[in-house]
Amino acid sequence: MRVTQSMLSNNMLRNLSESYRKLGKYQDQITTGKKVNRPSDDPVVVMKGIGYRTELNKVQQFSRNIGEAYNWLDTTDDTLDKIGSALQRARELMVQASSDTATPEDRLQINSELQQLREHIQSLANTKIGNKYIFSGTKTTTPPFDNGYPEPIDDAFFKGIEIEVFSGIQIQINTTPIQLLKDINLMFEDINTSMDKESAGKLSSFLERIDNVMDKILTIRADIGARQNRIELMDERLQSQEVIATKQMSENEDVDYEKAITNLITQESIHRAALSTGARIVQPTLVDFLR
Amino acid sequence: MRSTFMGLEASKRGLYTQQSALYTTGHNIANANTEGYSRQRVNMEPTLGYPGTGLNAPKVAGFIGTGVKASSVQRIRDAFVDRQYRQETNKLGYWETKSKSISQLEDILNEPSDYGLAKALDGFWNSLQDLHVHPEDGGARTVVVQRAIAVADSFHYIYNSIQQLRENAANEIGITLRDINSVLEQIAHLNYQIQSVEPNGYMPNDLYDARDKLLDQLSTYIPIELEYEKSGGNALAIAEGSVRVFLKLSDGTKVKLVDGKDFAQLRNSGASTSDGLTPTDSVEGFKIVRVDEFGNETVVDNNWNVDNSAQIDINQFSNLGKLKSLVDSYGYIDINGNQKGLFPENLEKINRLAKEFAEAFNNLHQSGTDLDGNADVEFFVINNSTDTEITAGNIYVSNTIINSPNKIAASDSTPGNAEPGNGKNALALANLKFQTLAGLSGVSIQSYFEGFVGQLGVDGQQAERLTYNAQTLQQSVSERRSSISSVSLDEEMTNMIAFQQAYNANARMITAIDETLDKIINGMGRVGL
Repeated sequence: MRVTQSMLSNNMLRNLSESYRKLGKYQDQITTGKKVNRPSDDPVVVMKGIGYRTELNKVQQFSRNIGEAYNWLDTTDDTLDKIGSALQRARELMVQASSDTATPEDRLQINSELQQLREHIQSLANTKIGNKYIFSGTKTTTPPFDNGYPEPIDDAFFKGIEIEVFSGIQIQINTTPIQLLKDINLMFEDINTSMDKESAGKLSSFLERIDNVMDKILTIRADIGARQNRIELMDERLQSQEVIATKQMSENEDVDYEKAITNLITQESIHRAALSTGARIVQPTLVDFLR
Repeated sequence: MRSTFMGLEASKRGLYTQQSALYTTGHNIANANTEGYSRQRVNMEPTLGYPGTGLNAPKVAGFIGTGVKASSVQRIRDAFVDRQYRQETNKLGYWETKSKSISQLEDILNEPSDYGLAKALDGFWNSLQDLHVHPEDGGARTVVVQRAIAVADSFHYIYNSIQQLRENAANEIGITLRDINSVLEQIAHLNYQIQSVEPNGYMPNDLYDARDKLLDQLSTYIPIELEYEKSGGNALAIAEGSVRVFLKLSDGTKVKLVDGKDFAQLRNSGASTSDGLTPTDSVEGFKIVRVDEFGNETVVDNNWNVDNSAQIDINQFSNLGKLKSLVDSYGYIDINGNQKGLFPENLEKINRLAKEFAEAFNNLHQSGTDLDGNADVEFFVINNSTDTEITAGNIYVSNTIINSPNKIAASDSTPGNAEPGNGKNALALANLKFQTLAGLSGVSIQSYFEGFVGQLGVDGQQAERLTYNAQTLQQSVSERRSSISSVSLDEEMTNMIAFQQAYNANARMITAIDETLDKIINGMGRVGL
């Protein structure tokens, strides 16, 4: 085949620009840290990439949701614990009051402390997380007790608040002991009206009522504890999921630096070789040797 | 009896001919870097021997050579390689333009990245998740509004950018047609010049080169077929003649574009064009017009018979050349009367995504209740009154929602009964993204978009690969062509020396004859003087 100068120089130019193109590609890969930069580089990787991003984003969001779930359950548990202590104290007072040795004055004093406890429990029932009342079902802006009087309640007060902690898995983060709280309130009211009228024997029947509600509170706390366990498990699962999703995303689209840098260096030496060959080939013609 | 001065004459012819060859070598060297130039060669042939034949020819021994003549100057070129080159150029023109269009679309979608529509949808999903956890929180609601605006903005950006690309493609179609028309006119003009030169027995090599270059250019735009017609008169057998250029359609039909010094012009057919060239709506086809000297246009059919209704349907074009590729990107009407094309189809896809997303979202949103327990509020609206359907271009977050984020229906309570802490509807709205929608052929918004990007990637990859293939083939043909036609300086230098030496030798020959003549004229008959 006949080869001419213009063919050589055209080839050299083409090879050089191809070489620059490859250098550019490796440069892109190394500076962005990604194997692909546009869908046509590798459609499958890009499609998967969009999927993994969404997956990772989901896992991160669920972790955030779980934080909120912890917050609710811990606060609820703590509040119920305090209500329990208050009831415990109320029980002790009732034991004193129901003793035959207690004088009416003693009973009035005990009652005033009991009514303080009632207010304490009411304020505990009005506990808020942020600006949300935790025992109001989904009517989180309405307190269960307003100035010591129970709010009229409807179905919404018994509704659970469920948040998603995993694709398709929802966990109820609130508890709805509104009836119980009202019962407790009512009980204290009954105590208030009966304290100075009833006999010691009659008053001791309140002990049973207190025990009864304390039992119920314990049952609720057991349920909260079980949910806390479940959320902890979920949390661990999410954490490992996040690691896995990040790893998958990285394996899918991140550049293998050793490989990319080796490629770059190889390409660089090829480029140098191309340049020096070019310089050698294009220069001399017969003209240089004729006189 | 031969002439006394015959030797001088033969050597003089030698001088002239070698000089012509030397000058042609000079011409070659001068054009060593001229694009489209083919090296030229002086065809030398010996002149007829002496004496000539005939009854009254002198009877002498031998048939003595009388020297050389330059019979013609020919360019070195292989028409077959040209043909191959143009075929590959056709393909390259098509795929290169297609690949460019797709990569522009890819730039707009900007995936995979942290800024595209996928990211905006993810952000919107996050904000709805947060809202479902904190439904009574004004902050979470404002974030939902802002993220929704970001989603709408992403849709607008994609929509407007694709529209912009379409407009650019329309302009490029106009410019390409203008270019094609100008090339056709130039070819016809060159035909005219060639037709005037050839009958005089000359080879207008440089005109041929110019014409071939124009034909190369034309073949990047449209698939062409050529026929050559020899010139009459005293034209040489190797003269190429004038060329007839045809547009070749997919069924093999040939549409005449240039015939000798006459040429036709391409026009965009149909009413949807601003200046006869630049389309303003999907291309239906092209028509051929002849323009007279007053600028009046007559529509003609494939063989230039006047036919006002003649037009070449776009579906008759093969997928070759830049023009068809641009039309494919811009949009055209297919055989069934539907709008097709890269940009319109992708626009339609993104519109469909926006519409199905907005409608499903609105449905769900209207079924939920807001912070005050009211239901039936639209979330996404069309922002201009003329459109009846939501598209990616007109989707907006309703002003009611923007002005009072409390109207976002996060709750699924019964209407009239406000449940501020109920975030169930917000969760349903969030998870709409992963729900299959009948309007999206049974896939979710997420996978529809993934599929959309994936399809584009696959098409882009194919276009790139085919561009690369066509480029490689075109390059190897181009290499062959260079191998045949391009100027080699070494070769020209060698020739230069050969011709120079031949010239010198002829001059020396003249001196030798001069000396012999000197002997006869000045030395003879003077014996002993």
